[in-house]
Amino acid sequence: MADLHIERIAAVLVDYSVSVRQGDLVQIAGGPIAEPLIKEIYRLTLARGAHPYVRILLPGLQELLLEHADTSQLEHVSLLDTLFVERFDARILIESETNTKRFSQSDPSKQVIHQAAGRELKETGLLRIASGACRVCWTIFPTPAYAQDAEMSLRGFEEMLSKACFVDQEDPIAAWREEERSQAQVVQYLAGKRELRLVAPDTDLRVSIEGRAFRACAGTQNFPDGEIYSCPIEDSAGGHVFFPFPVREEGREMRGIRLWFEGGRVVRESAEQNESYLTRVLDTDAGSRVLGEFAFGTNRGVQRPTGNMMLDEKMAGTVHLALGHGYAEAGGVNQSSVHWDLVCDLRQDSAVYADGQMFYKNGRFLIGS
Amino acid sequence: MADLRVEKLAQVIVDYSLAVQPGDLFEITGTWLAAPLIEAVYESALRRGAQPYVNATLPGLEELFLAQADKEQLRHVSLIEQLVVRQFDARIDLMSVENTKALSQVDPARQVERNRAYKDLWQERRGRQEQGGLRECYALFPTQGYAQDAEMSLRVFEDLVYRACLVEEADPVAAWHEVNRRQQEIVDYLNIKETLRIVAPGTEVTLSVAGRRFINCSGTVNLPDGEVFTSPVEDSVDGHITFTYPVVTRGREVDGARLWFKGGRVVKASAEKNEAFLHQMLDTDEGARRLGEFAIGTNPYMTHFTRNAHLDEKIAGTIHLALGNAFPKAGGVNQSAIHWDMVCDLRQGEIYADGQLFYRAGEFLGGLSWPFRPE
Repeated sequence: MADLHIERIAAVLVDYSVSVRQGDLVQIAGGPIAEPLIKEIYRLTLARGAHPYVRILLPGLQELLLEHADTSQLEHVSLLDTLFVERFDARILIESETNTKRFSQSDPSKQVIHQAAGRELKETGLLRIASGACRVCWTIFPTPAYAQDAEMSLRGFEEMLSKACFVDQEDPIAAWREEERSQAQVVQYLAGKRELRLVAPDTDLRVSIEGRAFRACAGTQNFPDGEIYSCPIEDSAGGHVFFPFPVREEGREMRGIRLWFEGGRVVRESAEQNESYLTRVLDTDAGSRVLGEFAFGTNRGVQRPTGNMMLDEKMAGTVHLALGHGYAEAGGVNQSSVHWDLVCDLRQDSAVYADGQMFYKNGRFLIGS
Repeated sequence: MADLRVEKLAQVIVDYSLAVQPGDLFEITGTWLAAPLIEAVYESALRRGAQPYVNATLPGLEELFLAQADKEQLRHVSLIEQLVVRQFDARIDLMSVENTKALSQVDPARQVERNRAYKDLWQERRGRQEQGGLRECYALFPTQGYAQDAEMSLRVFEDLVYRACLVEEADPVAAWHEVNRRQQEIVDYLNIKETLRIVAPGTEVTLSVAGRRFINCSGTVNLPDGEVFTSPVEDSVDGHITFTYPVVTRGREVDGARLWFKGGRVVKASAEKNEAFLHQMLDTDEGARRLGEFAIGTNPYMTHFTRNAHLDEKIAGTIHLALGNAFPKAGGVNQSAIHWDMVCDLRQGEIYADGQLFYRAGEFLGGLSWPFRPE
């Protein structure tokens, strides 16, 4: 087994990502398989004088809910989730799937009802994050299921994740601060720019970013992290984009997605696999055909697509676009219960232009160091 | 492989013990080792139209907390517990520890500090329970830890527990209804008696139950279940009793305990092993020297001693006495921070009620009995 550096991961999460302080109410959520990491975070949180609340998510429950719940049960908003979202100071949410395809047979319309019911609470949560009232970090614990999706051994996946988390380095927190500095140069360059043009195989897209700032993401809300994102002007996207990597949403896998934009909206879509599900997601609500995010991945530890969005969107040499909810802290106003990331490979025959000036070519920024 | 007994136990919990109703806010709690039963209960509750909440825990966190928490943290009362106590309709606590001795090294003073912080909330909980606002059940899910204490393989221990839960009966819910009816006959008999006398090797004790109520325990609050209990009149206990089984609590084991009572108080105590700990428990507070409970175990499927009070107090052919806190619903008034169950084998003993022999060699006489018998 590769050294997971559990202690280093926990230290970054507690002392850097959500900076746990004395008296904080801290939620730690994850599956039983993440037990070693959960325990270490719990121990450190106690040591910081905070109040840790552990929520163990059993893998089988959500599937049972979607199979047996009636509408009123699906529409019930959990009082526990409400408590965590509305009252807690910090939350560390550990993704630790044991089977990433477990929702494949679930009824998508039930999923939509359930998600729609949670929308208001989700927005409350995003507002609390934006205002700084609640620090939330999503992280991932290496499981055989993730390794399988990435077509890797668990050991190989663990090694890649350690690199992506910088915990193979002696002082990971210092490395994340350095990452933040390097992202800041790109953010600074993009400040005041009006239009981005993205050119890649089967891709030519223009979006306006006028008045919208880019933001650095260096390990506070996601871990691993590594992206620079903004919310494009909602009615500005025009052109078409090809997303070569497989995309998973609620246990379903879509491949070879193509989107055509006009006046900011997706006016046509296609996929080589599961196209009807793609259409269904896009039709979730009024905001789910509009871009909520445009972002560059910067993490060189993620060396290949893994089938896991949390990692793939961080991959250096890629851009990702999200349909749906736009983050208020980046000036976004699009409202949707969906926030769905799609990754575009920019490592070959690709470029990004800002107001006509090429600043990114074949997976690398041409600015800064 | 799916164990059908787990599904049947879930059915008993949801349809009988807690009678879960549509719309009920229902907490399911336990360690993740109990995941198969948690999932089965969750599914049954969904089918009944309830809103089930799973609050699963990791083995080992409590020990970590009690070892490391500072004063402020020890005094923190969980917002989740507050939510459940104040707003929920039902909860099932699935006892499913991995290591029954995990808290052996914890400083008892820190546990006391923690319990003190929860005192008000637990009182609120009792209030809601008594008004029927919150229904609670404690069920044991077989783990390696419990099996080890019982000196059994997990497989043999599972057989014991599931049989005692009556889930191997053709219709487990109907079986528990029948147990309830038959035990009520025992309770009705005892409720009009005043004085009980228990005689067994090393034991001769009398106690008054005048004006006290016996409670029929038949699967609604505990699973497995099978006992009738009351809180004896606090100053009435006289005589001595020898506990044939080890008393296990807080990770410690007291063997061969003997207690001498006068005017309801323990005036002398001895033990073959861990006597000092026995004295320490008796000195907890004034109420710790008085009986809070007298009970007769009735479950004939509980055939082995398991070092687990939740199970052992149900063994047919035994009685148990608890030192400490009494049950108000039985008419008891004794108060203490402890409630310490001690089990005594009566398979060579007798119990008299107002001078009438009604229990001999582990069996009720005069037509009183359980409806089911192991083969």
